[in-house]
Amino acid sequence: MTPSLPSSGADWRLVARTVRLVLGKPAYALVAALAAVVGLTLFVYSLNARLINDLVLGGSLPPSNRLSILLNLYPVVSPTAYTGAESAVLVAVAAFTGVNVALVAYHLLENATLRGGSGSAAGVVLGTLGAGCAACGSTLLAGVLSLFGATGLFALLPLHGLEFALLSLVVLVLSLYWLADGMRGGRIRGCPVDP
Amino acid sequence: MRRRALIATVGAGIGGLAGCLGGGGDASARDDHPAAQDLDAQPSLGPDPADADNLLVAFEDPSCPTCGRFETETFPRIREEMVEPGDAAFVFRGYPDTYDWGEPAIHALEATFDRDEAAFWSLKAHFYETQSAFDADNALDRVGSFLDAETDLDADAVVVDARDEAFADAVRTDVDAAEGSDASTPSVALFAGDEFRSLVSGAQGYDVYADALNV
Repeated sequence: MTPSLPSSGADWRLVARTVRLVLGKPAYALVAALAAVVGLTLFVYSLNARLINDLVLGGSLPPSNRLSILLNLYPVVSPTAYTGAESAVLVAVAAFTGVNVALVAYHLLENATLRGGSGSAAGVVLGTLGAGCAACGSTLLAGVLSLFGATGLFALLPLHGLEFALLSLVVLVLSLYWLADGMRGGRIRGCPVDP
Repeated sequence: MRRRALIATVGAGIGGLAGCLGGGGDASARDDHPAAQDLDAQPSLGPDPADADNLLVAFEDPSCPTCGRFETETFPRIREEMVEPGDAAFVFRGYPDTYDWGEPAIHALEATFDRDEAAFWSLKAHFYETQSAFDADNALDRVGSFLDAETDLDADAVVVDARDEAFADAVRTDVDAAEGSDASTPSVALFAGDEFRSLVSGAQGYDVYADALNV
């Protein structure tokens, strides 16, 4: 079983159609949104674990201060902690993670018999690995580096560490393709995945 | 108004969760914290750090791009809304951990501070305003040109002291404080009264500091 790479416009149209059909079901749109928020929260926590433990989960601040601190650590919300490019890429990674999780959930819960065989299984495995790897890999690396006080290393990279998030984005896009590829031949909400 | 009510409601939930988890944070005493040692020998703004109601001890590297964002985006509001009204003292400690030119820059800052604190703050701002123009080969030349043009200091003497690392002990003291605090750059150790609140890392916005210190 060798996963293929998307090579034509038809492959990308397949991905877009599959995503549109799955997210057209409100329950899976909600799963995607929740997974995106969880992914982004894991990232924010990995970078600010000490601050969040000290002041949001612990300490003696009023509840409104705790919430305000937490919200201000997120990309887009914080005006200074992330550049515009960093915020855009991180939000994209979170969104793609959410969509991956929704597709995996759909595939496992409602679509497992669509095609069967190794292609479908590969899609689920690679999709899960893609979402997990992308959501956690770079953030865990950032967290581990910060534990060792080595976040300064990011400054030495050309994009100051944004490389990891961009890599995650590539993995997530590929895993979306593999998931969609594994769902070829089936129907979602009565519509053929691969018309 | 609705947003404020939402924050209060959700915040109450977080407060409840914190209570369930029994989180207490690190409420170590200020006097025992590495970041708060030797403060009388550090450049500071606002009230006397020893007596201030709130204290921010910032570990920065002039060569660090994120420190540049903190300097230009967050520090002005800290100075205007906390330090100048007298609600908090701000202390700078140099911690070279990014590019090579950060180390001579910090030696130059110490040599400048030893002569004139106002010139120190000007030089610090200059590093961040023109950060991209500095490298390991030109750092001290640019320091000399700036001090010569903008201050009354003997710029050549500052450059010689920086090159000879005449204030290596002061630099070492700050590095030890940073390492003892588990700081990166930028990191700001926050103290409210005698209590250590937390260490904020990255170029976080002003609201994080204001909420953390309840100012």
